[in-house]
Amino acid sequence: MNSTLRNVWKKLKKKPMSLLGCAIIGGYTLVAGLAPVLARPAPNTRDVYLIPQDGYSPDPVRPSKEHWFGTTEQQYDLFYGMVWGTRTAFKVALSVVLTSLLIGILIGGLAGFYGGWVDETLMRFTDVVLAFPDLVLSVVIVAVLQPGLYKVMAAVVLVSWPSYARLLRGDVLSIKEREFVLAARALGASDSRILLRHILPNCIYPLLVVASLSMGRIVITAAALSFLGLGAPVGYADWGQLISLSRNWILGSSGNPFEFWHTVFIPGTAIFLFVLGWNLLGDAFRDILDPRQK
Amino acid sequence: MLRFVGKRLALLPLVMLGVTVLLFALLQFLTPEMRAALYVKDPRQLAALEAIIQKHHLRDPLPIQYWSWLKQVLVGDLGYSETAKMPVADAIRAFFPATLELTFAAFFPILFIGVWLGTKSAVHKDKFVDHFSRFVAITGYSLPSFVLGLLLLMIFYGKMKMFAPGRYSLDVDLLVHSDEFRHVTGLLLVDSVLNWKWSVFWDVAKHLVLPSATLVYISMALLLRITRSSMLEELGKDYVRTARAKGLSERAVINKHARANALIPVVTLSSLLFVGLLGGVVITETVFDYPGIGRWGVNAAQQLDIPGVLGSALLSSLLFVVANMLADVAYALVDPRIRVQ
Amino acid sequence: MIRAFPALLALCLFTAPASAARSKNPDTLTRLGLSDADSLDPAWSYDTFSHEVIANVYDYLFMFEGGSVEKLIPLAAAKVPSRANGLISADGKTYTIPIRAGMVFHDGTPVTAEDVRYSILRFMLFDRDAGPSSLLLQPLVDRDSTRDSTGKIDPKVFADAAKAVQVDGDKVVLRLPKPFAPMLTVLASWAPVVSRKWVAEKGGWDGAEATWQKFNNPSKTSSPLHEAVMGTGPFKLERWDRNNKQIVLVRNDRYWRTPAKLKRVVIKAVSEFGTRKLMLQAGDADTITADRPVFSQLQNVPGVELIDDQQMLDMNPVAFFTFKIKETGNPYIGSGKLDGEGVPPDFFSDLDLRRAFAYSFDYKGFIKDVMRGKGTQATGCIPNTLPGHNPKQATYSLDLKKAEEHFRKARGGEVWEKGFRFTLSYNTGNVARETLCQILKRQVESINPKFKIDVRPLEWPTFLDAYKGSKLPVFIIGWNADFPDAHTFVFPMLHSRGDYPFTQRFKDERIDKLIDQALDETDLAKRKDLYAKVQALEYELVPHLVILDTVRFRTQRDWVKGWYHNPIFPDAPYGAYYYPIWKE
Repeated sequence: MNSTLRNVWKKLKKKPMSLLGCAIIGGYTLVAGLAPVLARPAPNTRDVYLIPQDGYSPDPVRPSKEHWFGTTEQQYDLFYGMVWGTRTAFKVALSVVLTSLLIGILIGGLAGFYGGWVDETLMRFTDVVLAFPDLVLSVVIVAVLQPGLYKVMAAVVLVSWPSYARLLRGDVLSIKEREFVLAARALGASDSRILLRHILPNCIYPLLVVASLSMGRIVITAAALSFLGLGAPVGYADWGQLISLSRNWILGSSGNPFEFWHTVFIPGTAIFLFVLGWNLLGDAFRDILDPRQK
Repeated sequence: MLRFVGKRLALLPLVMLGVTVLLFALLQFLTPEMRAALYVKDPRQLAALEAIIQKHHLRDPLPIQYWSWLKQVLVGDLGYSETAKMPVADAIRAFFPATLELTFAAFFPILFIGVWLGTKSAVHKDKFVDHFSRFVAITGYSLPSFVLGLLLLMIFYGKMKMFAPGRYSLDVDLLVHSDEFRHVTGLLLVDSVLNWKWSVFWDVAKHLVLPSATLVYISMALLLRITRSSMLEELGKDYVRTARAKGLSERAVINKHARANALIPVVTLSSLLFVGLLGGVVITETVFDYPGIGRWGVNAAQQLDIPGVLGSALLSSLLFVVANMLADVAYALVDPRIRVQ
Repeated sequence: MIRAFPALLALCLFTAPASAARSKNPDTLTRLGLSDADSLDPAWSYDTFSHEVIANVYDYLFMFEGGSVEKLIPLAAAKVPSRANGLISADGKTYTIPIRAGMVFHDGTPVTAEDVRYSILRFMLFDRDAGPSSLLLQPLVDRDSTRDSTGKIDPKVFADAAKAVQVDGDKVVLRLPKPFAPMLTVLASWAPVVSRKWVAEKGGWDGAEATWQKFNNPSKTSSPLHEAVMGTGPFKLERWDRNNKQIVLVRNDRYWRTPAKLKRVVIKAVSEFGTRKLMLQAGDADTITADRPVFSQLQNVPGVELIDDQQMLDMNPVAFFTFKIKETGNPYIGSGKLDGEGVPPDFFSDLDLRRAFAYSFDYKGFIKDVMRGKGTQATGCIPNTLPGHNPKQATYSLDLKKAEEHFRKARGGEVWEKGFRFTLSYNTGNVARETLCQILKRQVESINPKFKIDVRPLEWPTFLDAYKGSKLPVFIIGWNADFPDAHTFVFPMLHSRGDYPFTQRFKDERIDKLIDQALDETDLAKRKDLYAKVQALEYELVPHLVILDTVRFRTQRDWVKGWYHNPIFPDAPYGAYYYPIWKE
């Protein structure tokens, strides 16, 4: 294992873009980890994710010594929101990818392994979910569950698993006919043992590559839902929500069209870099792990 | 081939039925009071909440509600969308051409630029063009459309005062709806030419610039990548070497031989790309206040306008299935190896 | 493919013409609002966006003179009835309304008294769920609905209504079951004159007793007046374009007064503020909806005029205390007990507690921050624009000492000792309500660390659900006037049969009696006296917290002339009565 890791690292080193990806995600991890130090929450606050407000005036204020990134409308401190929003972003990205991966493995694995009516039923259901543009379906789901950060996560999970399920099913279909699987079956291994010990380990890598690549897309979908006003409540540290606070201010004031540039630019850059980081990492993983690339 | 298409078509109603059942199943999460919110908007109407629930049969068990909705649909009545303020069928007729127009306006540039840049970067692998196009691809793929859209609006609309949001400006709007303007396709770019109204054409085209630029930049990555890798693969093949050996110019080798073959996966991908765009316009339409099917769908979902949601979902699933089928057919037609099989 | 680039480039460089310094269409007024109309049928619609159109294409019997909400002038009526001119009977129950001669509908047919009677009857008997019909059903036939609680039509209603509304030559005579002071003001905002002949021809109700039940509580689109107009107003409907959410009105050249100065009025919904602002700047729009938070972005824009300090006819936001909260399945009251982690169902029935909350709110700070210093603290639920408002009524102000005193007294000291926790909720998308919650939370929690308030935004559907079940310990909402009379505020906000008190489970016999008395009283001075007493009790009992009398500003190009504010105009000061307006 150690040698594989070293191998991976060696390959990573050769690609400056992958290193950049590592650096970006590493940087964000640092920010997320150090959030309580970087942006100290008020001592009596009950939820650290609630951004402190400096008064209630409607006009955003430009960056200053007091507010490094300025404030949004209603005086939410943008720096605080960005820092704690990093945690939110990780929370959303990781838990959504892991959960939808699990669901995808379960459904795709069962469908591919058992075939027949199990396959037919599960795959038709997958077709139905896939027949929606994913953003529309997740909007419907959140609207029905009523907005909130966890609802957004649930909705994104519900629209993301089918592509994993499909991919895994195909791989399982081809691997289950291979000799070593047939041999294990002849030796009387149980279904679950064959599936878990023999088949899954052999088709998990492509899935992981796809998962790492979809990390960025998932962050974007979740942020888009927040932007549409379906995500976390106003004042919660969440990048998509902070961007939506800028909508009334993109035109600036009379004579100064960029007066409120920071309200769009800062959270926009944060999301962009975060997604970029994951995409660069995903690309690197694909190059290293995907045997079919060679 | 025909059997294959037939089988896909037979499956279509099933998928659409599944889509609507899924949506109705989701409604289980809502209380009747919550669904009545669509009709009770003003505090002054609060007293009538129960009457509204009764009138729209919101307390009936869901299977019964579903059945009565389905019965209506089967006789061709999709219901009334409160968010569009018109019957669902009318709303589809009104919003779909707009979305289609926007999708086309993004689709062709993506195709052109994607293939052009993809070829260039394969031919000049590891040169500046290659790095540049990969940079374009990865940044586009990483940029949320609402961020890009807002930035574009800030610069080109807020600062430079060009490219207003919407589908057209007010005076064009009056012209388009006057008696002298005949509506043929619903696509205003086409209709304006048919009516010989260049002012309308320019106005509509101008309004399409920012939203389609957003879509192009964000959706181009996949096509660019596919073209590049498939082109690289072809360039390494024997026949290309033979062609070069025959003394054909590099230009002819690339344009006539390699690219023709490299485009096969691109062709099959493009119909999926088209559907992806149709689904992807949701945010773009919202940011640019563009009256299309995506914005309507989102509004309907947010306000729990069930007939509206069902109507737009039916349309998009229909498009999705048909486009998938076309992709398969195109693949079979283009790739001779599959045809032989 | 390379050839495609120049074309794209050309497209990108294509610039818009520089913004015009002069109005582009001198006889067309373009107004950008937030949302489009629901239905143009006066008997259906209950929203301000529809009524803005309706008020310009139909004539009501009366209208208010200028910006007044008290003095009426006749419109479709020839005279305003009063006791002095003998058209209101001494007992206040019979109103004789002579109809103006020589008026024609948009199609040229003359208006008769029969049309007026039909219009009033239709308004009442249409009675769609959640519609405005009860506004006339109540005074004229003394009931809220044409149907019983199970939704069954009561056939007797027609006879009662026909008895209440009769034609006598060229006069319409209203016979009320009991005196109703605001009768004429209701008729100045509701039930405009529609053409009976036209509606019947298009398949609508013909006015006969035999058919009225068929047209009772109809579907929205089945009414011929849903998307067409047949009235007598200064404008006609040219087009309702739902795709682009806009309505185009065109001048009625056969209007009974001099025709309007504007030829066209375009009313369009543009949800994004940025778009509205830019279209205003470019001269594509003449007036736009813009609320206090974006005020700073409209200041000093060349050619744009902000007309501030327009008083309103609404009370918003208001925080209501629920006296008896429903306990089962209620996520908003914590443990449901007074143990520091929740509140018991009857928590807010304690008067000291409500007063403590009233002393814990920073009214001045709210007005300064949220309203940019505009507006005045409300003295009661009757807005300062209405007769009956008592400016001398004492009010609460931020006083944490007094608040603490009352908190210590509440429930015999138990509250102070054990603390509480509950959820304060507002419906999303409303900055004023949101900030109200946050200010209240901050002040109350600063008094005692055991006091905990969670602020939670609710989507409208969730809000409705919780509201209907009386689950919210405190709910924040507002109220708009149906017609300019104190009754439309005190009844829904203080009378035990009103909407909010019913949900709060708040009842006070004295208040109920005073409100009923004031409604029957036609002597203005005596009415004011009764309402002053109501407001004193409101202050004493604190069933809710009123915050401020709002003022808004109107945004228009400086070439728009002739506009005046009357808070009763639908969506004023953004919407307007366009008849007197012109562009220079």
